[in-house]
Amino acid sequence: MSIVAKQCGVKFIPPSIVLIYENKNTSKMRKRIIPVRNFSQYSDCSQAAERMKHHVRHSVYLESVSLAQLERLHLILRDHLQGLSLDQSLAVHRGSDPNDEDLNKLSDEELNRRKAQMDELFERNRRRKEDPDFVYDLEVEFPENSVRETCSWDEEQSDDDEF
Amino acid sequence: MDAGGISDLDLEKYDADEQVKIICLGDSAVGKSKLMERFLMDGYRPQQLSTYALTLYKYTTTINGQTILVDFWDTAGQERFQSMHPSYYHKSHACIMVFDVQRKITYKNLPNWYKELREYRPEIPCLVVANKIDADIKVTQKSFNFAKKQGLPFYFVSAADGTNVVKVFKDAIQMALSYKKNSNDFMDEVMRELENFDLESKEETSDKEEETQEGKPDSA
Repeated sequence: MSIVAKQCGVKFIPPSIVLIYENKNTSKMRKRIIPVRNFSQYSDCSQAAERMKHHVRHSVYLESVSLAQLERLHLILRDHLQGLSLDQSLAVHRGSDPNDEDLNKLSDEELNRRKAQMDELFERNRRRKEDPDFVYDLEVEFPENSVRETCSWDEEQSDDDEF
Repeated sequence: MDAGGISDLDLEKYDADEQVKIICLGDSAVGKSKLMERFLMDGYRPQQLSTYALTLYKYTTTINGQTILVDFWDTAGQERFQSMHPSYYHKSHACIMVFDVQRKITYKNLPNWYKELREYRPEIPCLVVANKIDADIKVTQKSFNFAKKQGLPFYFVSAADGTNVVKVFKDAIQMALSYKKNSNDFMDEVMRELENFDLESKEETSDKEEETQEGKPDSA
């Protein structure tokens, strides 16, 4: 199955993530509603997003959806549970796209907080020397072929293109 | 451990055949130190030279029967100023430039780092490293044009699961050595010597090295 996500959204009742995707094999557009379970106003959104991203049944649909986006969707759900309106919630999170945040400009304290957040994922994915399948010099080739898609980060580039 | 202190900033030593200096560049929190630690494995304690906002990692290896001493220079927060002190670049033989595949801005900042690098070191090999691919393995199907455009070697890497970390560092050491052997940017060296005259003379006149480091907090 070849799934390409087109759009994501949320549904408040019951709390769910909505995904519009294209099945490349059939060229059909489909909608998938993924219920967000065991989630309260006190839940950790990044953990919940991770859980969903790697969910047995849903992960295949969410491959092309970034973890950051899933986390933002969960943040909106959590804001709703805390009594914020959708407008308020969007206003709070606008401009806080971690993708665009310049960590060089943060205070030490704030930078360390962000590093600690990143460390959670690092520790979860970490292979340790004690792990039975640990390989010190782990080489993986990612062959460059002609169908390789250009990263969207390059496409937007034009004005600040010094090099 | 070494005697430590300012003696490690004696840049003259990098002229010796068996010594190379490799620097790391890139934004805050892209995982530079994590990559170093993964390469050297745990239990390794780097030298923090906080006066210089610098972390030094020493590494010894044998290549073709010759013992090679490698000093890896890591930034320790200096990147916060979006610029590094000239001595950071001085006499370096290779550069490992890192960005975080999860954060676009760290990729967008590569040209700035690269520009500064080339101001000081126009010819040294530079490796571009896309770190944290464990967070989203899909990125490895994409091409990142910056490296290609500059004709630089490019690596998909994860400090967490170890993918290609050792390869990057081994390649960097090889490139640093062959640069050193074949380097013909003598003029470049002379220019840098002049530019760094102040820094060098300061170091040469300091006999009591440890004390000097403590006594001159404004020298960084």
